Amino acid sequence: MFAAVLVLCMLGCALFASWLPLQVSIVTVFLFAGPHNWFELRYFLMRMPVRFGRSRNFFLTAFVGLGTLTITYVSLPLLYRAAIWSEEGWLTIIATWNTLLLCWLGILVWQRSKQKTKSNWFWVLPVTLALGAFNWLSPDFFSLILVYVHPLVALAFLDRHLRRNRPTWLRTYRSCLLMLPIVLGLMIWRLSQTTSLAEDNGLFWRITQHSGAELLPFVSSHLLVSVHLYLEMLHYGVWLLALPLLGPLVRGDSTRSNPYARVWDLKTVPLARHPLGFPKAVAIALWVGVVLVLMLWVGFSVNYSTTRDIYFTIAMAHVMAEAPFLLRMI
Amino acid sequence: MKPLLAMFCLAVVVLATAFAVRGDIARPKPSEQAAVKIVYAQLEIVPDSNALSARLEIHRSDLKDLLASVEGTPNTSLAASITHSGTRTIIAGILLFLSLSFAGVWIARASRSSSGLSRAHKAIAVVLVAIATIGTAAIITRGNAGPPPSYAWRNLPANLTSGRSTTGTIRIALIPDDPNSTGAKLIMPVVKKNARGEEE
Repeated sequence: MFAAVLVLCMLGCALFASWLPLQVSIVTVFLFAGPHNWFELRYFLMRMPVRFGRSRNFFLTAFVGLGTLTITYVSLPLLYRAAIWSEEGWLTIIATWNTLLLCWLGILVWQRSKQKTKSNWFWVLPVTLALGAFNWLSPDFFSLILVYVHPLVALAFLDRHLRRNRPTWLRTYRSCLLMLPIVLGLMIWRLSQTTSLAEDNGLFWRITQHSGAELLPFVSSHLLVSVHLYLEMLHYGVWLLALPLLGPLVRGDSTRSNPYARVWDLKTVPLARHPLGFPKAVAIALWVGVVLVLMLWVGFSVNYSTTRDIYFTIAMAHVMAEAPFLLRMI
Repeated sequence: MKPLLAMFCLAVVVLATAFAVRGDIARPKPSEQAAVKIVYAQLEIVPDSNALSARLEIHRSDLKDLLASVEGTPNTSLAASITHSGTRTIIAGILLFLSLSFAGVWIARASRSSSGLSRAHKAIAVVLVAIATIGTAAIITRGNAGPPPSYAWRNLPANLTSGRSTTGTIRIALIPDDPNSTGAKLIMPVVKKNARGEEE
């Protein structure tokens, strides 16, 4: 049953993404972008320890880096407009930001590796340096790869989540994941010969640019938008459906209800439930999140293009926030 | 830690000296070949019995390259972006050098330890490093040489006769205006064959 639902979801998403990529992209982002961020916030709060203890430096690095990188990333468009930049100068700025991101990730991995003494994580260093080299060779492409790789991180979260909560399902899940490259290969094969999407208006142009149409002019923008949309749909599906619904069924000898699914219940968040926790702070964070989701929907209704631009700029914070929490789950 | 520090200091000294000794070398004169404007594109020749007139269809990206060539704006292709940016290439080279060095250290240390790498891991690591090195070198040196461009057009006469399309690369050269000739000229590589069908 689980495998059938997974396969159906993967094929259904691929079908919709290939059929009407621009229209489905607009609807998908409108409906699910904000709520999926809220679910991510709640999931991260559920995984946050009440006391950092030995992980103090790890979380300190994570939050300081997250704040600094988000602020600098959001200020990049302002910086672009504040002065006249040569193409080379601007690429250097992007490469520098990407390098800071890699350094931050590298430090987080190094700190996490100190807690996992049994495993050797030294290989991360050459990989990070190689990624840094690629970034300096082509900063634009490195940023584009982030756009395409980020949705896949959700699949890694689901893998870790199932390992903890439903280990017997893990093998089925991983087998189904093997379908992903096949579906992607089929999409690329079928869509590579299609004509590029019409960029009739600013919104369509933005969507194709976000998928890398300018960087890859020799690739059909239909293919790029479809593949990116497909990955985004899987990403939203994992955060909005799979992770909340696939909580622990059995713990020890007793059957228990799934705390991930009871999104309205503040007591399911350990950080709020614990006697030394912060129930008010958690409640405020979640309510602010709800307000922001509502504001996002209003913004999309009033001016979709501008709101989309603002959203994808600020949403970089959630892209980066996934890294420390995924590392904690490894 | 000490060997690492020593290596770092040595690298800084070498780099600093390299910059210093090259400081008084004159900038090389631009070669005349650089002034020749050539754009590379794909061309498909399609015989169509229903067509009423000859029609040339150009992709938007090719036209963009052509216009950039006319206006003298820089080529923004990946290879051009890499090869034309000195600073970024130097930083990337240093990072790649460090990456390969640390990868070597990791493989050496892991193979010595009790929980060393399996043969499969080693093979994967070697293949990945080889692909990364060859790929980067190929991009930078543009060493992705294939058969000569004329190879793609070897069946053109036969395809035209049988009504099939032929695809190959084309070099679009922008030449100065000439009052004695107007219009565009398409030069196709054709191999002469003797009576026995052998190439001359």
